Amino acid sequence: MGSLAVVVLLLAVMVLSAAGVIARNWSEEVGVSYAPPKWFASTTQDTQTQEEQAVRKLDDYGIPDPIGPELAEINARLTGGGGPQARASTLPLGGDKWGRDVLRKVLKGTEVSLFVGITAACLTALLGTLFGALAGYFGGWVDDAFNWIYSVFTSIPYLLLVLAIAAVLGHKGIATVILILGFTGWTGIFRLVRAEYLKHKVREYVLAADAVGASDMRRMFVHILPNVSHVVLVQLSLHVVLFIKSEVILSFLGFGVGVETVSWGSMLAEAPSELILGMWWQIAAATAAMALAVTAFSLFTDAVRDALDPRLQ
Amino acid sequence: MNNYFLRRLWQAVPTLLGVLLFVFFLFNWVGGDPAYLLAGKIPNPEMIEAIRRSLGVDQPYWVQLWIFVKQVVTADFGASWSTNERVSEIFATRLGPSLTVLLPLLFISTVLSLAAAMLVAYVRGSLTDRAVMVGCTVAQSVSILVYILVLQYVLAYQLGWFPVQGWGSTLGENLGYAALPVLVGLVVSLAPDIRLYRSFLLEEIGQDYVRTARAKGLSEARVLWLHVLRNAAIPIATNVLIQLPGLLAGAFLIERFFSIPGIGREVILAVERSDFPIIKAVTVYVAMATLLVNLLSDVLYKALDPRVQLK
Amino acid sequence: MRGIVLSVFLSLFCSASFGADKILRVTFQAAETGFDPVRVSDYYSGSVIEAIFDPLLTYDYRARPAKLVPNTAEALPQVSDGGRTYTLKVRSGIYFADDPAFKGRKRELTAADYAYSLGRFLDPKNRSPYAFLYEGIGKIETPERMTLRIRLKNPDLNFSHVLAFALSGAVAHEAIEAYGDESAAHPVGTGAFRLKSYTRSSKIVLEANPGYRERYFENRRIPSIRGVEISVMEETQSRWLAFQRGDTDIEYALSELAPKFLTPENTLRPEFARKGIRLERSVDPEIIYFYFNMQDKTVGGLSKQRIALRRAIAMAYKIDDQIRIIRKGQAIRAQYPIPPGVAGYDPEYRSPIPYDPRAANALLDQFGYRKGKDGYRRQPNGERLVIVFSSSPTERDRQFDELWKRSLDSIGVRLEIHKDRFAELIKLSHQCRLMLRGAAWIADYPDGDNFMQLLYGPNTGQSNSGCYRSPEYDRRYEKSRRLPPGPERDRLYHEMTRIMELDVAWILTDSRYRNVLLQPRVRDFAKHPVLHAEWLYIDLE
Repeated sequence: MGSLAVVVLLLAVMVLSAAGVIARNWSEEVGVSYAPPKWFASTTQDTQTQEEQAVRKLDDYGIPDPIGPELAEINARLTGGGGPQARASTLPLGGDKWGRDVLRKVLKGTEVSLFVGITAACLTALLGTLFGALAGYFGGWVDDAFNWIYSVFTSIPYLLLVLAIAAVLGHKGIATVILILGFTGWTGIFRLVRAEYLKHKVREYVLAADAVGASDMRRMFVHILPNVSHVVLVQLSLHVVLFIKSEVILSFLGFGVGVETVSWGSMLAEAPSELILGMWWQIAAATAAMALAVTAFSLFTDAVRDALDPRLQ
Repeated sequence: MNNYFLRRLWQAVPTLLGVLLFVFFLFNWVGGDPAYLLAGKIPNPEMIEAIRRSLGVDQPYWVQLWIFVKQVVTADFGASWSTNERVSEIFATRLGPSLTVLLPLLFISTVLSLAAAMLVAYVRGSLTDRAVMVGCTVAQSVSILVYILVLQYVLAYQLGWFPVQGWGSTLGENLGYAALPVLVGLVVSLAPDIRLYRSFLLEEIGQDYVRTARAKGLSEARVLWLHVLRNAAIPIATNVLIQLPGLLAGAFLIERFFSIPGIGREVILAVERSDFPIIKAVTVYVAMATLLVNLLSDVLYKALDPRVQLK
Repeated sequence: MRGIVLSVFLSLFCSASFGADKILRVTFQAAETGFDPVRVSDYYSGSVIEAIFDPLLTYDYRARPAKLVPNTAEALPQVSDGGRTYTLKVRSGIYFADDPAFKGRKRELTAADYAYSLGRFLDPKNRSPYAFLYEGIGKIETPERMTLRIRLKNPDLNFSHVLAFALSGAVAHEAIEAYGDESAAHPVGTGAFRLKSYTRSSKIVLEANPGYRERYFENRRIPSIRGVEISVMEETQSRWLAFQRGDTDIEYALSELAPKFLTPENTLRPEFARKGIRLERSVDPEIIYFYFNMQDKTVGGLSKQRIALRRAIAMAYKIDDQIRIIRKGQAIRAQYPIPPGVAGYDPEYRSPIPYDPRAANALLDQFGYRKGKDGYRRQPNGERLVIVFSSSPTERDRQFDELWKRSLDSIGVRLEIHKDRFAELIKLSHQCRLMLRGAAWIADYPDGDNFMQLLYGPNTGQSNSGCYRSPEYDRRYEKSRRLPPGPERDRLYHEMTRIMELDVAWILTDSRYRNVLLQPRVRDFAKHPVLHAEWLYIDLE
């Protein structure tokens, strides 16, 4: 039950972050570039700038500036001031290359990654359950058609399929990632749900419903579905785990979330260039958060499965 | 048996056609125009047209589809759009390196995870069992990316135990280069495999014949070794077989970081360069391999387990 | 007696291993595409082609700025007809490397080979990405066996550079005919090296061409090395680790990791200097910039309002952060469209556009780009203002996405990132359909015209990615084409630059440092601004 607690905690983080209560200013640059974690003393690199500070009178080469007068007036109006603000030299979990707080990024990333994982899993569960129900219930050519699509999808390796569809949908941020994952992951659920429907549709309670005059739709979704839901629930949880990990891969390949937000995947995508420079804190934070979430969900799934599945006693 | 085999083979045809259709419409519809990439820095319109004509991109779809079908049947996908290397050449040369990593990996991983799974099944329910399971779960929660980076950095760079990356020309050399990639692959695949094999074993242990064997007085160890393992061998063996085609294309991260000239790396290059012949060929071949492997594993099932009825 | 035998044996063994180890080991950061000059456009394939084939001219290895010298030609070309006709004599006694395509006989290099090789670029069937460089050729004649005469369509004082270009080497028609589609994997040239073995996208092994003509460099017969082993390693981490372990001799592309081997003062860290590793640092003859699509309906055009919008954006873009954080300090600010090392470069020139987000904000307010309730500015006509920045989905490009977001947020302008594959982006930009994008241009040859042509109106749809058309600019550009490098041409270039800057067709950002790391055994290395690889001239201990 510890896993349940952790899962609830993570969901709480997700909701709070989405509401802006925590990690609101995650993109604010509060530290110097690659600020180290507070408790870890090390020297940071200070990279050079080539900027010259001298102000010189410029030759205009005889070309007048179309907006010269306006600019002159603005420059006269604005007097000196507004120097660079103070930046922290260390941050609780360290800072990334722009000096953003890794702690805040990880919290925001939790929101985004969990959202991506859960939404994609729901989408995939919806598709898989729908297809599986239709195929298992109606049988005949409907079943054949779905089985055909299923075999086509499963004969192409997952990663290749994901890349292919990613190439189709392009790079448009979170929505793209969710769609890609949702459209590629339904096969497992489909197979299980279909098997369940095949089993259940000849059961007495279904035949009874038929005798009473319930329509196909009613029988499929009102009568059988609740009895199948434990399978779907377990699969849903499993797919959340799978999709969280897939998002990391997609981000590394360049199909991840955009720059307006941050996910564990986008934090890890910077890993290769950071680790070699000795900047390990962002990777550590993202990996730890991801490990926590995935482990919690996995244990939770196991617990649910053990509780709901009558066979494994 | 022959009937079954032939019938399954025949059933695979619509699936293969479905794959072809899928691949074709996916890439032709969307794939974008590679002509500009090929035309380099400063293209001019005539050159673009010449390229598109030579690639058949300007023909109507059904003509292109027919060309594609012919290519599959004759196993001749033409040449890569960016390097002009024949696609069949590419496959021939890239398969070796991929397999040099994957086959040892598959073998060692199966043996190790099976051994571990048996040990755990032996002490099932105990604290050790739970600890190992939780450990596996945690291990699985770390991304393969992190494993590759950290292991490469620590073991190859810091400690110097392995070459950092690269590939040689002889098998001996290559096994040396494959060592760390195999190790990384091992670390990544052990945890899920242990869990899976453990569940196979436990499923068998729950069967009646096991209780009978115990009732007859056989020790737990003998029960495991003699009976359970043999029966679990089938799902295990088929699981191993089924993994192979997927691993081929999916090992791209390992191949990329360790600079191994295999199929996975080729796929990534092809996607970046919009190199259709390669992507189409890889997808079709791997799909065919998957179908074949599935068929073989079903046949294997039938051969090994007389209880299984194949209709 | 035994002692003598032993020491003789040992010394033989040692010298043998010394000599056998004159193989240079290097890496490529990206996979090559092939070694047929006519099929290639990438830098890496160009390096290998340069080693295998011989152009008529080349550049003096040591002279800076780059100086043209004859290679297989007896002397620099005779230019006549006001720059329309180039005449050269090919040296006799130069032979192609032995190859089965020559059916056992030794094949001498003649003028006809150059006529053939250069002519291949003009053949649309060959679809060469570099055809544009040879477009000016009208007719190629060979009045005598060893005499080559090229007649250009228009006068061009820079054509000699084309003759020195890496891809202008001589190929033998027998080899091209024999190998057909496989010509990219079977290069046969007259150069110092030939291809020994080749594993695509993985390993390229070159060996010294035993039939190479007698040639000396600083009292040494060249090539001094026995061969070159090139490994393709895409990950920077892998290349760095390989260099550290001594597996590679020269590393060109490690600037991402500069803090690991450079002190903050940009000298080599003592722990590497102590091992004898050397650093050669120079600025690449390239410029990196962002271009606005001047035909775009949101940011394009030459009205004062649009100029103000682009000017404000240019004043808000954090070039300093780009150099400091993304380049890790390994770049210099590019103030002028012509980089160092290229004829026409002016180190004194300064951009009139400062980094001043406060003034940028005021400018936008003044010209009607008012902030809406969401904090983001709207267009003067009330419509939403969105700047769309196009880039490819790599981790490198993502850093620029982030920097643009930060820069535009400081002036309250909304940003959208448009991601697409490199091939698609090129297509869209040639069709003038992007709004804002980054670009880089490295010198094909060391003359400023190669850079100024990027803004020439008629080049829209080709190298003029921003589709910039300014009559004032174009007029001056056409005049500059008729001038040799010098103060008169510089004056025009200054004016053209100022025009382009005030219109804000481009935001010039930087030119990168090339940090070349050398193992102690590498001798006589000098990074050349134009020549890709220095393999012909270096020596190994």
